[in-house]
Amino acid sequence: MGAKSKKSNADAVYSKKSVKTSNPFDAAISQTAKRLNPFDVHVNKEKFKILGRICKHDRGLPGVSRAKAHQKRVETLGKQYAVKHKTNKFMDHRIGKHLTGEQLTESVMNARFLAEKLSQVRASNKAEKFNLNDDELLTHRGQTLEEIEKYRDERSDDEELEDEGLDAEFTSTAHFGGGGDAAQDRQAAIEEMISEQKRRKNEIAKDKDEVHDLTEKLDANYKDLLSLVAQATKDEQHEKPPPDAYDKLLKEMIFEPRGSVTDKLIKPEELAKQEAARLEKLENERLRRMKADGEEQETNIQTTHRSADDLDDGYFAAGNDDDADDTLAYDLDGNLGTHLNSKKDYQTGQSDDKSAEDSENEDDGEESNSDSDSEVDNLSDLKESGSESDSEPDHTPQPKTTKIKPQKQKFSETADTSIPYTIKMPKTYEDFTELLVKYTPTQQVTVVERIIKCNHPKLEGVNRENVVKLYAFLLHYIKDMFEDASEQDIGLHFQFVSQLMPQLHDLSHLNSERMSNTLLDLIKEKYAEYRKNHKAYPTLDTLIYFKLVSNLYSTSDFRHPLATPTYIFMQHILSRARVRTRQDIAMGLFIVTIALEFSSRSKRLLPAIFNFLLGIVHMAIAKRHEQLEIVPPFERDGPFSKLLAIPATSETKTLLPQKLQTADLVTHTISLDFKVRALDTTLCLIKQIFDEQMGEHTGACYLAGPFLPLIEHLPVNLYPDHVQQHCAEAKSTLKSVAEQKMKPLAPPDKKPKALRLLEPRFEVVYDDKRRPKMSKQKEERVKLLHKIKREKKGAIREIRRDTAFVQDLKLKQQIRSDKERHEKVKRIYQEASVQQGELNELARSKKRKKF
Amino acid sequence: MKQTNLAKKSVNKQTADLAVKRANVPADLQQKANDFLNSSNVNAKDLKEIVYLLENPDSNAVGVMHVLEVIFRNLLKRKIILAVENKKNKAKAKAQAKESNAKCQILYNKAWSLLLTNLSSTSKEEAGVAIKICMQLIAAEAKHSSSNAWPVERLRSILEALINSEATPTAALAEFAKYTCCLDVLQLTYELLPELAPNSFVDTPNIAFNYLAIINLLDLGKTVLNAKQYHIGPESSFDYEQTRQLLNTAWNGIIAACSGLDEKVHRQVLVVLLERILPHLENPILLTDFLMDSLHQFDGPIALLALQGIFTLMQQQNITYPDVYQKLYNMFYPRMFYNKYKARLFYLADIFLTSTHLPESLVAAFVKRLARLALKSPTEDAIIMIRFICNLLLRHTGLQRLICATGAASAIEIADPYDETEVDPVKAGALKSSLWELLLLQKHAVPDVANAARFITKSLPIVEFDLSSLLEMKECDIFDDEVKKEAKHFTMAHERPTNFGLPQFDVVTKYWDIL
Repeated sequence: MGAKSKKSNADAVYSKKSVKTSNPFDAAISQTAKRLNPFDVHVNKEKFKILGRICKHDRGLPGVSRAKAHQKRVETLGKQYAVKHKTNKFMDHRIGKHLTGEQLTESVMNARFLAEKLSQVRASNKAEKFNLNDDELLTHRGQTLEEIEKYRDERSDDEELEDEGLDAEFTSTAHFGGGGDAAQDRQAAIEEMISEQKRRKNEIAKDKDEVHDLTEKLDANYKDLLSLVAQATKDEQHEKPPPDAYDKLLKEMIFEPRGSVTDKLIKPEELAKQEAARLEKLENERLRRMKADGEEQETNIQTTHRSADDLDDGYFAAGNDDDADDTLAYDLDGNLGTHLNSKKDYQTGQSDDKSAEDSENEDDGEESNSDSDSEVDNLSDLKESGSESDSEPDHTPQPKTTKIKPQKQKFSETADTSIPYTIKMPKTYEDFTELLVKYTPTQQVTVVERIIKCNHPKLEGVNRENVVKLYAFLLHYIKDMFEDASEQDIGLHFQFVSQLMPQLHDLSHLNSERMSNTLLDLIKEKYAEYRKNHKAYPTLDTLIYFKLVSNLYSTSDFRHPLATPTYIFMQHILSRARVRTRQDIAMGLFIVTIALEFSSRSKRLLPAIFNFLLGIVHMAIAKRHEQLEIVPPFERDGPFSKLLAIPATSETKTLLPQKLQTADLVTHTISLDFKVRALDTTLCLIKQIFDEQMGEHTGACYLAGPFLPLIEHLPVNLYPDHVQQHCAEAKSTLKSVAEQKMKPLAPPDKKPKALRLLEPRFEVVYDDKRRPKMSKQKEERVKLLHKIKREKKGAIREIRRDTAFVQDLKLKQQIRSDKERHEKVKRIYQEASVQQGELNELARSKKRKKF
Repeated sequence: MKQTNLAKKSVNKQTADLAVKRANVPADLQQKANDFLNSSNVNAKDLKEIVYLLENPDSNAVGVMHVLEVIFRNLLKRKIILAVENKKNKAKAKAQAKESNAKCQILYNKAWSLLLTNLSSTSKEEAGVAIKICMQLIAAEAKHSSSNAWPVERLRSILEALINSEATPTAALAEFAKYTCCLDVLQLTYELLPELAPNSFVDTPNIAFNYLAIINLLDLGKTVLNAKQYHIGPESSFDYEQTRQLLNTAWNGIIAACSGLDEKVHRQVLVVLLERILPHLENPILLTDFLMDSLHQFDGPIALLALQGIFTLMQQQNITYPDVYQKLYNMFYPRMFYNKYKARLFYLADIFLTSTHLPESLVAAFVKRLARLALKSPTEDAIIMIRFICNLLLRHTGLQRLICATGAASAIEIADPYDETEVDPVKAGALKSSLWELLLLQKHAVPDVANAARFITKSLPIVEFDLSSLLEMKECDIFDDEVKKEAKHFTMAHERPTNFGLPQFDVVTKYWDIL
C-alpha cells in the first residue's frame, strides 16, 4: 500500500509540476469558430475620435462573455455551493497547498516528500513485516528508479518482468483450505509464505547477477576476438592499390591539424604604436603632476578677446599658444615651420626615437621576466639574453660605449660559471654581505639579479617580504660601500651601483610603497644626522641616495613624497655646508648636477644651485685688492675664498678637457687639474642651466645677473682653450638672459561672467472649464478616488451577480426537490388509488356475492 | 604662569632628584657617608677623606658632591659647623666646640672652594650639580644659622667664580638661572654685581662676557615679580625700587667701561640692554648716543640690535631718527640670512612698515628688495619674505600696481628699472618696476614656496598673514612637514635606468666620469 500511495503522490506532484505540453493542433481554431455571428457582436459607438487614445472596448461579445462569467461561477461558486455544509469534502493538506505552477519549487517538493515519508514511517512501522518488497521504491518524477534504469540497461530487452504474485499452487492451498496438512495454523502458514517469497526473490537476483557477469566476460573477450577478425580481413587490405597523390593529399587534409586559432599577430609597427601610446599616457600624467593646481593661468598672457557668449569649454585653453606662433614660414635652410616649432619638432623627434628604444628595452625586460616565471632552471640562458640585450642597445646613444662593451662581454663570459643559479634570500644583512663579498662587483650584480629572480613575489607570497628586505639590504650595502670609500675603490663602487640600477628599478617597482618608505626613512635618518652639524657635508652615501631618487622616481612632480624632501635636503646642504676642501667642492657639484636632473623636466629652480655655482666661480678668481661680494657658505676673503684660483705661472695649457673624476669625491687636497676641471664643469653647468632650464622663465635675468661681474673677473687667459671656449659660451648665454626684457605683470584677464541660463519652466494650462483646477497632488487623489469608486461599483456588481447565481442555484435545487416530492406524492397517490381500486373491486365482488 | 609651573615642577622634581642622587652615588661611598653620619662623634678624618675625593680627578665627582651635600646639611643641622656669618662669635663657638668641630669647619670651607672650582668644570653635569649643591648649602646655612641671615658671602663667592671662569660656564649659568627667578637671589645679586664688575671690559672680554651673561639671567620682568619665589623663606624682603636702583648703578658701571669693545661683547651688551635693562632704566634717553654709535659703526647683528633699541626709544621716548628707513633698507642684504638675529629683523621691519602713511616709493623699494632676496635666500626665509611682501601689498594698496600693470603698460617689454645698488630706497625706482621675481619664485622647487608665491596670480588674500608663526620656522621644519604629509603616493619613473645615468635628460654622467 505504501509504495502505491507514494507513487500516486509523486505522480500527482509531477503532473502538477510538469508543463502541460499539449497537442499543438489543439490551439488551432476551426474555420467556423472564428467567424462571429454578427448578431452576437455588440458595437460600442464612439462619438469622437480622440487622438492617442487606445480604445479597447469598441466591440464586445455579450453572449460569449456572459457565458464565460457563468462558466467561471459554476467552477468556483458552484463547486463551493455544492460542498457547502458537507463534512466529507476532499481537503488538500499538503505543504504549500496554496502554491501553484511556478511557485512549486524544488524545495517545496522536497519538503512534501520528506513529510510524506515521515508519516509513512510513523504509520507503517507495524505493517512493515507485511511488506514483501524490503527495499522501498524510490521514484523520480513519478517513475520508480528501477523503471528509469531499465531503459538505460541495454540488456533489459531479454528479461521479462517477473511475476510478482504468489504462485497458483500456494494460493489454492492457502486460500481454499483443502490439502491434508490443515493442521498448521494460519500464523505459521503466513510466515512460511513470506520466507518462501523472499527466498525466491534472492534466487532471482542471484541468477541475474550471474547472467550479468557472463555478459561482462563475453564483452571483454570480444576485444580479443576483434584482432582475429581484423587478421582475417587483412588480405583484402593488401590487395588495395597504393594510395596515389590525391589520396595522400586528401588524407593529409583530413588528418593534419589545421592551424590552431591564436591571437592575431601584432605587427611591430602596432606594437610600437601601443608602446608610444602608453608612454604618451604616462607622460601626460607626469605633466599633470608637474603642474601645481591652477598654475596654468599665467599672468600676463595676453589672451585673445573673449566674449561673454563664449561657453568656457576649454577649447582655446589647449591650442592657444601654439596657434599664435604657428604661422607658415621657412627658415634659412628652407625648412618649413617657424624657428620655435622646428626646435620643438626636433625635440619630439628625438624623444620619439628614444621612446622607441625604450620600448624595445622594456619588451626585452618583460620577456625575460615572463621567462623567469616559467623556467627557473634556465637561468644561464636568461642571464645572457637579459643582461646583454638590456644593456647593449642602451649604450649606443652614450659616447662611452666602445669602452664599456668589451668589458661587459668579458664579464658576462667569465661571471656566470662560478655563481649558483638559485640563490636563497639571505636572512640577515651579515649573511648578505658575506654572500656578496665572495664575488667581483659585476658578479655581485648577477647575484643580486638571481636573488630577485628566485624570490620574485609572483613565485610565492612570502617573497613579498623578501624583496623588500633585499632592497633594504642593497641600500645598506651601498651605504657601507660609499661611507668610507677610498680613492682606489670609489670608481669600482660607482660601477657597481651603475650596474645595479636596473635591478633597483625593477625591485622598487615590485612594491613601490614599502621600498620607497625604506628609502625615505634612510633619507630622513641622513637628514637627522646632517642636521646635527649642518656646516659639514654629509657622507657620500647620502648623495648616492639622492641619485637613486633621481633615477627611480618621477622627480618632476610638483609635490612628491620622496623628491620634495630630497630637494629641501639638497637646498639645505648647498646653502649651509662650508666649502673648504676638494671633496666639498666635488660633492657640491655632484649635488648640483643631481638637482639639475630633478628639475630637468619641471624646470623648477633651486636658488642654492645658483649661489653654489657663483661661489665656485668666485673661488676661481685670485683676488688681490678687490673684494667681490659673495654669500655664505662661501667666504668673501681669506684663504678659502680662492681655493680654485690658479697661479699665473702654472702650466695649464696642456690640460685636456676632462670630466669630473669620482676620486674628487674622496680627496681633500686640491690639485691644479682639479681646479681647471671644476671651473670648466661649472661654466658648462651655468650654460646648460640658462640654456635649457631657466632661460625661458620670466625673471631669469635676476639669476643670471650676479654671474656676469664674476665671470668678467676670471683670469681666462690662464686656462686651456676648452675652458676659454666654455667661458665665452657661458658668458654669451648669461648676457642674453640678463638682458631679458619683461612685460610688467598684469593679472590674468578675468573670465567674463556668463549670463545665467535658466531652464525653461513650463506651466501646464488646461482650459477645461468643467473640471476645477487643482494642484497635482489633489488631482492625483481625485483620480484615485474615482478609480476606487469604479472598482467598488464593479465589485458590487460582481457580488450581485454572484448572489443571483447562487439564488439561481438554490431555486433550481428547490424546484428539483419540489418536483421530486411532487412525483413521490403522485406515486403515493397512484399507489393509494390503485390500492383503493383493488379494495373497491374486492368490496364490489363481495357485494356481488351477496347478491 | 611659567614660574608657578616651574615651582610645581620643582616640587615634583624633589622626589625624582632624590632618586637620581641615589643612583649617582656609588654604594661604597654611600656606606661611608652613612657610617660617618651615624657615628655619635664626628670623625674628622673620614670627612677629610670624602672631601678630598672631590679633588681626585678619577673619582665620581657628581656622586661625591651629592654625598657632601647630605653630610654638610646634616652637620649644619647638628650645629657642628656654624654658618660663616657667625665668625664674630668664633671665640665663643670655639670655646664650646671641640677640636673636631674646628676641623670640620675647615673642611667645610675647603669643600666650598672645591665646589666653586667645579662650577667651571667642562662636564655639564658636574657644573650643574655643583651650583645646585652650592645653592642648597646656602639655603641650609641660612636655615640653621642663629640669625637666619642670608649667607651673602657665599653668594658672592659663587658669582665671583662664575665671572672669573675662563670659558663661559654655560651649564652652571643655565642651572643658576633657575635660582635667579627667586627674588631674594635676584636682589642680592644686583647688590653684589657692581662690586664684582670687571675693571676693563676691553682687556678681559671673557670676564666681561660672563658678567653680562649673569646679568642676562636676572629678569626683573613682571612674571618673575608676580611669581614671588624666594630661595630662603618668604620673610626676606624684596623691594623693586631698590633693585631697580641697583640695576641702574650696575648698568652705569657697564656703560662707563663700554668703549672700543670687541664685537662679541658689544653684541652681548646690546642683548642684555634690550632684554633686561632697558625697561627698568631711569633715564633711557641717555642711551641714544650709545645706540646711534653702535648703529653707525657696525653692521649686521649689532646694528640690528641697536636699531631695535632705537625703535624702543622712538616708541617710548619719542626721539626722532630721520634715516631709520634707509638704515633698515640697507640691512636687507644676502648675508643677513646667515645672521643670528634675522627673525628680529623681519619682526622689526614688519613693525616699521606698519604705518600706512609711508611714501609708496619707499615701501615699493622694500618690496622689491625682499623679492630679490627671496630668490637667493634659504627656503624658510623665502616663505617669510613672500608672505611679508603680500602683507605690504595689502597694507599699501597703491603698491598693487607692482603686480597689476595697466593694460597699456603691460604690453611693452622693459628691463627692470629698479636699481638694486641704490642706497636710498626712495631713489631706487621701484615703483616703475614689477614683481617678476615672484613669477620666478612660482617655479621654486619647494612646493611651499611656489604655493606662497602664487598669490600674484590669484586674488590677494583679504587678511594679512601672521608672520610671527613663520619667524620661528627652520629649514628642518620644512623638511619635517614635507615628510609628515599623509597622502603618500610614490610615483615612479617610467623609464628604466640601465646604468647610473638617466635615460633622458641625464646630467650627472654628463659631467662626471663615472661609467
